[in-house]
Amino acid sequence: MAVDADADVVRLRRGDLSALSGLIARYQNRLYRYLLRMVRQPADAEDLFQQTWLRVVEKIRSFDASRNFDAWLFTLARNLAIDHLRRIRPQSLDEPLAQPLANRWHSETVADRISSKDHTPLDHALAAERRTEISEAMAALPMIYREVLTLRFEDEMKIEEIAQVTAVPVSTAKSRLRRSLEQLRYALEARYPGGTWQ
Amino acid sequence: MSEHDKIRELLALAAADALTSAEEKQVAEHVRSCIACSNELAVWQPIASELRRLPTPQPSSWLVQATLARAQAKLTEQAEHDWNRRVMIVVVAFAWLLTIASWPVFHFVSGRFGSLLRPQFSHTYFSQMLLNETWLNQTWINFAAFTALGWLAGGVAAVMLAVRQRGERRLA
Repeated sequence: MAVDADADVVRLRRGDLSALSGLIARYQNRLYRYLLRMVRQPADAEDLFQQTWLRVVEKIRSFDASRNFDAWLFTLARNLAIDHLRRIRPQSLDEPLAQPLANRWHSETVADRISSKDHTPLDHALAAERRTEISEAMAALPMIYREVLTLRFEDEMKIEEIAQVTAVPVSTAKSRLRRSLEQLRYALEARYPGGTWQ
Repeated sequence: MSEHDKIRELLALAAADALTSAEEKQVAEHVRSCIACSNELAVWQPIASELRRLPTPQPSSWLVQATLARAQAKLTEQAEHDWNRRVMIVVVAFAWLLTIASWPVFHFVSGRFGSLLRPQFSHTYFSQMLLNETWLNQTWINFAAFTALGWLAGGVAAVMLAVRQRGERRLA
């Protein structure tokens, strides 16, 4: 955790209002992205975003300052997101997206597009499309796989931190990450058959 | 499971930079001599690379402002709640102190005026004892009733105040 965040956490524990705005500014993008990856719906992610910060205010005194604030914050968000998912659809935690996302790239393999370099405007456009495809394939994965992918690749958390957030042993977090990558690859291959993935 | 199979299982994690340094070394050595694993790693790397470059969805500014406002209101409410709790502890401690301290005063006042009302029909030692004991019991009952009434009035006032505060907060 950054020194500034540490100082803000200490100040927030003392009830300093300005520390809260500092923390929200620092974590808003990461937290919102994580929640959106978890629940998929922007409206739900927005609601959970607010609830998470309210929970932070409520529980900040019980936060052990020697612990990692990032992991603690994401654990709070995770618990709220899981409660929400259980409420709306109890089976949704381990289930992939029921409706397959739109497949707009039948004529070209993902491998072809992924391996291309983005230099020209056309390449930039293709790169953006590739990201959209990966993003859609990721959104179709079960929650536990989406979660581990976003924590590792977007939040750049170490395996140990992922294990802490998801409340599993490090070995489980590692195998979950491997399975999530495999699932993503299978999903991409299924959506774009004929690719040179293997 | 052969060495090759073991390494193959690590390739996805290698692309994700999620291996220990020992595993990384093991994979690097194997990939140098195994074309199949080298090709497999080449498939994983662009996936990992694209995942790292996914665009970050950002919360709208109104959401951040609304969150901040709600969180600050909660923080203020909590601070107020803490203050009220501290005041309540002090008030309760003071009330107990006052109750205990008022006993001699109550005893004195009820002794002074109670003796005027006490019937003076007997002066024998035994009857005096009985009379004193009755008077003492009566004093205790009066004192307990007085204290209970005080606590009850205080409790009702505190509940009414809390209900009113909650109503005001809800309106706000």
